[in-house]
Amino acid sequence: MSKYTRRSFVKIASLSATALSMPSIAFGALPRVVVIGGGAGGATAAKYIAKDSKGKVDVTLIEASKRYYTCFFSNLYLGDFRNYGSIGHNYYGLAVNRGVNVVHEWAKSVDPAAKKVNLGSGGSVSYDKLVVSPGIDLKFDSINGYSTDVQSKMPHAWKSGTQVQLLKNKVKGMKKGGTFVMVPPPNPYRCPPGPYERVSMIAHQFKKSNPTAKIVVLDPKKKFSKMGLFQEAWQKHYPGMIEWIGVDTHGGLKNINAATMEFETDLDTFKADAASVVPAQQAGAIAMTAGINKGDWCPIVAGSMQSQADENIYVLGDASIAKSMPKSGFSANSQAKVAANHIRGSLTGSKVFPARYSNTCWSLVATNDGVKVGASYKAGAEKIDVTSKFISKTGESSDLRKATYEESIGWYEGITSDMFS
Amino acid sequence: MKFLLFISTLIFLTKTSYSDEKMLALGDKEYGQHLAGECVTCHKANSDKAIPSINGYDKEVFLTVMLAYKNKEMENPVMQMIAGRLDNEQIASLALYFNSLK
Repeated sequence: MSKYTRRSFVKIASLSATALSMPSIAFGALPRVVVIGGGAGGATAAKYIAKDSKGKVDVTLIEASKRYYTCFFSNLYLGDFRNYGSIGHNYYGLAVNRGVNVVHEWAKSVDPAAKKVNLGSGGSVSYDKLVVSPGIDLKFDSINGYSTDVQSKMPHAWKSGTQVQLLKNKVKGMKKGGTFVMVPPPNPYRCPPGPYERVSMIAHQFKKSNPTAKIVVLDPKKKFSKMGLFQEAWQKHYPGMIEWIGVDTHGGLKNINAATMEFETDLDTFKADAASVVPAQQAGAIAMTAGINKGDWCPIVAGSMQSQADENIYVLGDASIAKSMPKSGFSANSQAKVAANHIRGSLTGSKVFPARYSNTCWSLVATNDGVKVGASYKAGAEKIDVTSKFISKTGESSDLRKATYEESIGWYEGITSDMFS
Repeated sequence: MKFLLFISTLIFLTKTSYSDEKMLALGDKEYGQHLAGECVTCHKANSDKAIPSINGYDKEVFLTVMLAYKNKEMENPVMQMIAGRLDNEQIASLALYFNSLK
């Protein structure tokens, strides 16, 4: 186990906005990388730049939360396969083992001309290279009747945290034989199979404690990730419980009445006893202040993850347009390593290797029944191109599905260790 | 268990083969460290979970297993995909790097 050294303790405890605003005095002439956002993209980038530069680059990670709860595996908490504590992580490993300056503050805005990040407390941090990895913001006004006021009644639970706990409370407290309405988001969004894994985990809860309950999925899409696999699983494990209705059938969600819990579509009005509504999404707000977005998301250079608008800024994970990669924690972690290699190369002259990306998304559909989809990628001329891909098949043996679920647990341990230790 | 048996058979068949030595000679540990970034998203340094730790892995076994995934002689679509796009130099580099870890 790592011990706290005096140096790392000082780094965590006494880093003040005053010290940060005087980088030349506080840190000498080391090149400086600032990373905004401590999730799968940002934490990984901070770690790899600090680790591989061996003290030649000063790395500051700005992340408001002291404890980070992963979005991935939060559905497994809904299904009682994980306790909430088990998906929480802290940043001590990055500070103690890697010498990253971890600053628990809000990054308020980016000033690309001055190359500095303004903090919520009023201070600022200068950078030579900036990594922007803020994840998503929700577009609450994308659905009539949905808003921040209503999110406690119909949790989106799409950024982990207490919203997920609130959703579990709604699921467990729903009246016997009641109807749960799930509204997935339109493309593109964080974690393409996520809404359907969520439906599976809620169905798993209902099967145990509320077997006559129904789940209605009002989807703004015509099809979805791993659709055949999910539909097979719903038929097999939760027959008659889940009704998925695509937009070409319901014609569009016109309005949500939060007071009466009614969902109005062209087809019909659905009355819910409990609900989860996940609105449309965009890059985290900080990306917009840097002027690196084109519409809702940030275009990147396929070979480096650099912003197309500013060569000193890199955008990772959900906030980027990393076509053909999906928005996932695995993708962000993979992109972070490409960016880290490129940033080190430009700051210290270390060797820059050709970009290689990969992604796999596991989903749990029932006890010991896991499915997965994945691909590997390389930098193409216009975008990140798929080099090969795979997906679980319908009709697989229960042994294989159990092995796939167990593999996902191994992956969770692996990626969280890769991010935070 | 089946996996271990398979591995030990592979070791028996391939131990100290000339072609392994020739392939390992293509490898570069530093390059392996870079490439390993892709592996350690899933393979943790110490793990009792379904994805094994590959730190300190025997070099010849590493080559044999990776070539078996690449040739789709071992199952697991993730590993088939990852190994599928690694060339001999890259596989050898990874073998040298992971073997050097505790």
